[in-house]
Amino acid sequence: MSQPEDGLDLSRRDLLRIAGGVAAANVLGAATWGALELMVPATADAWHKSVCRFCGTGCGIQIGMRDGRILDVRGDEQAHNKGVICVKGSMTRSLPYVEGRLLQPKVRRAGKLVEASWDEAMGLVADTFKKVIAEHGPDAVAFYGSGQLFTQESYVANKLFKAGLRTNNVDGNPRLCMASAANGYTQVYGKDEPPGSYVDADHADCFFIMGANPFECHPPIFERIRRRRAARPEARIICVDPRRTLTAERSDLHLAPIPGTDLLLLNAMAQVICAEGLLDTAFVDKHVRFSDGENTVDLAAFRKFLERYRPEAVEAELGVPAAQIREVAFLFARSKATMSLWTMGLNQRVQGVALNNMINGLHLITGQFGRPGATPFSLTGQPNACGGVRDTGALSHALPNGRLVVNEKHRAEVEELWGVPAGTISAKPGYDAVSLFRAMEDGRVQAALVMCTNPGQSMPAADRYRAAMDKCFLVVAEAFADSETAQVADVLLPAALWIEKEGVFGQGERRYQLVEKLLDPPGQARSDLAILTELADRLGHGALIKARTPKDVWDEWRNFSAHSYYNFKGMTYERLRAERGLQWPCPDEGHPGTVRRFVEGEDPFVKKGAGFEFYGQPDKRAVVFLRPYVPSPEKVTPDLPFYLTTGRVLEQWHTGTMTQRIPELAKASGEARIEIAGGDAWKLGIADGDRVEVKSRYGALEGRARVLPEGRPGMVFAAFYDAKLLINRVVADNVDPTSKQPEYKVTAVAVRKLEV
Amino acid sequence: MEAVTLVRIFGTVLGLLGIYLAYRVGRKRFVPLSTAETVVVGHVRLSPATLWKMLAFAALVAVPILTMAVANYHTFEGIHEVQACGQCHVMRPMITDMRDPASQTLAARHFRNGWIPQAQCYSCHSDYGLAGDMAAKAEGFRHLARYTTRTYREPIVFRGHFDNANCLKCHGGTPRFGAVKSHQTVWPLLEGSTMLCLNCHGQPHPTRAARTPGSPDYARLMEAAR
Repeated sequence: MSQPEDGLDLSRRDLLRIAGGVAAANVLGAATWGALELMVPATADAWHKSVCRFCGTGCGIQIGMRDGRILDVRGDEQAHNKGVICVKGSMTRSLPYVEGRLLQPKVRRAGKLVEASWDEAMGLVADTFKKVIAEHGPDAVAFYGSGQLFTQESYVANKLFKAGLRTNNVDGNPRLCMASAANGYTQVYGKDEPPGSYVDADHADCFFIMGANPFECHPPIFERIRRRRAARPEARIICVDPRRTLTAERSDLHLAPIPGTDLLLLNAMAQVICAEGLLDTAFVDKHVRFSDGENTVDLAAFRKFLERYRPEAVEAELGVPAAQIREVAFLFARSKATMSLWTMGLNQRVQGVALNNMINGLHLITGQFGRPGATPFSLTGQPNACGGVRDTGALSHALPNGRLVVNEKHRAEVEELWGVPAGTISAKPGYDAVSLFRAMEDGRVQAALVMCTNPGQSMPAADRYRAAMDKCFLVVAEAFADSETAQVADVLLPAALWIEKEGVFGQGERRYQLVEKLLDPPGQARSDLAILTELADRLGHGALIKARTPKDVWDEWRNFSAHSYYNFKGMTYERLRAERGLQWPCPDEGHPGTVRRFVEGEDPFVKKGAGFEFYGQPDKRAVVFLRPYVPSPEKVTPDLPFYLTTGRVLEQWHTGTMTQRIPELAKASGEARIEIAGGDAWKLGIADGDRVEVKSRYGALEGRARVLPEGRPGMVFAAFYDAKLLINRVVADNVDPTSKQPEYKVTAVAVRKLEV
Repeated sequence: MEAVTLVRIFGTVLGLLGIYLAYRVGRKRFVPLSTAETVVVGHVRLSPATLWKMLAFAALVAVPILTMAVANYHTFEGIHEVQACGQCHVMRPMITDMRDPASQTLAARHFRNGWIPQAQCYSCHSDYGLAGDMAAKAEGFRHLARYTTRTYREPIVFRGHFDNANCLKCHGGTPRFGAVKSHQTVWPLLEGSTMLCLNCHGQPHPTRAARTPGSPDYARLMEAAR
């Protein structure tokens, strides 16, 4: 074959060579690609969507598992929190593996808790309950539950006690944290639970944070608020808190009222709004009714009522300058969208319901309602206080879906839905939390089942109620062997924790999310649902509790809800498995859930053309209450010259039974201390780290001081997570007359240095 | 014209020139070449043998080296640029969002505040040292293969593990970082990237929902990048 001397002609061989070269390059490239596809960087074997165990933000998380153990926990980018969690949520990776788990039932014999079989323990519980009921009637037994139980568990407990044992003595720790918010909402809108959602934080221009410390207690929400603030130079964060909290430090305005006086602030803001023409008269005329608590009154009466709360008239007692009150009232009313957020600072107060009424009222009179970003929003402390307890009506005065024990029609509806004879449910409200422990004290309640909570540490005037628990036959279903409550138990039942069981959590924005079981519980621990169904069987009410699995109980409950404005029948288990939670109302399987309630086009119960409709009220109008300020019974005196408030810190949650066992969190927060202002400490000769005594009318305790140079004079603070500084021993147990929630936030105390 | 485009054009021309020269040299019969004859190239007189030797040198040594240098620059340096990532349209939502002055994602905040003045994508998505560079480039190659073969599905999902070192190299030693007590107690987890900084500190890019075709955000995120 002749070769061309020059030119660009290709021979067949050349062509084959080139084709071969191209093919080889392609194969090499493809092989490299294939290898890279196979080289998945090592993470977990499988990722599972779940929900954080701690606060009411209810963050969606992703749990990475390898070889049957949790390897990693991350924020779930597809959940409402958009992937943001906090250090506590991040450390849930360690939660199932902490030390001190209760692995076997125990019963108290000769004053000591000794190991027993499930059969022995449950036999003793059932026999004692039967005996007490036979001798003293059903109101001598009680259930004290928790905003941390799964919805299915609270629902079954409520049904067993109210329709089985026929007592309304069903209450729980949500009474200590959410009762005032729930009552406040119900009085104003006719229905409990917030009208808005977390997503409103992405649209608000004014954040009115009152009696809440979201930087530490709800970090992903505060992160969201700060992001909005950074994106909108005109947005403002206002923080109302007697303490200079970490939230206050990061806010544009900090108002520090004297503890217990802040209803003066809300009323003064309302006065400015009315007097300065900041009222949204169109909204008020169409959607609002005024009430003095007894009778409907008119706007003129509201204005007249507010006259005594002019800023200049209240500033001295409130401790906030009149000019600042006016500035805040203006910002609240005139911002494009105002979102208020509050929690225990308003709820844990003897005027908790009035405060809740009024903060909702400010939104209504200014029309800051129902638009993106314009909403009143009460933050929640526990992962399932809303869905599990408030919505199931697992409280002593309540029945499911906002019904009331005292309402004959409501009782009849529930009896029909539960398939029990008319008259089964008692018309007498049961004991609220504080009354329940007082009833244990004087023997009216002789046996109680406590589940998933630690009243030995969390009750105010804790010494008194610990002694009361000692008198009662106390059955405690608990994950840990040595909690303060476990120490006074007569029977201890080992409970599964978090992802060791399955159930639904309902967080603060009406969102129900499924927590699937990923681990087996340790030792002989069982789910609380299993404990309740066994108790039902042993007490002869097995037929009442037909649904036994989390899915079956859920199906019963969602079908039950269809007979109410809570309607979440559309939240099937399949949807909860597939989706990142759904917000009720959600009446059918095609419904996307409701972001904003009472708003046309969003809430399925609002009629077309209504704009807004407060369908929980007979006249479809929301109520603005005239709530006079009443000073707290805990006023400081020369003998008790300081106000004590309590709260949380970033790394700890509730009574620390879980977070104190996670070394990274325990080390970060350190021991709890009694925080006192620099000026006060100087007068009392107290230096940082000194041992001090705090004494109130309710008790005394010793601890170490932390001196805050910029602290508020006249105030001391302690976090309640540390059992070694059990601050609730000195906290007052005064309660709101309506919600029965105790006033943890205001106790008059004395502080003195202890000689070493 | 942007530097990356110039580099690309220059590299392509060089590559084609190299192929052409190599082919010409490879095809040339050198037997009749005479040193007596001369060839004029511009103002220079050369013997044909010298010319072909020079051409051979250019074709076999100089041009390939230059081409490799340009390709290297393009592959290993030019690809650091945000534009390089933006070539694949699936990356556009990230870039549009990063440049959006109203966005509050971590990427947007770092961009807006000038915390990472250039090569923003690469700065956070390549781990430390040579191994980090290699891994990032290998991942880039995988993306390229997926993109050109259309074997991907939107919204794309970050695969693998984000290395906290990318955050800690700037934030790790700062007083603000040290002031947070829990940073100290979870330090071993942060250092080993077994707990992500992103857990607490935010959403890095638009959510998967926003990047899903059909969502209102998707149209906005794709439109602005064009």
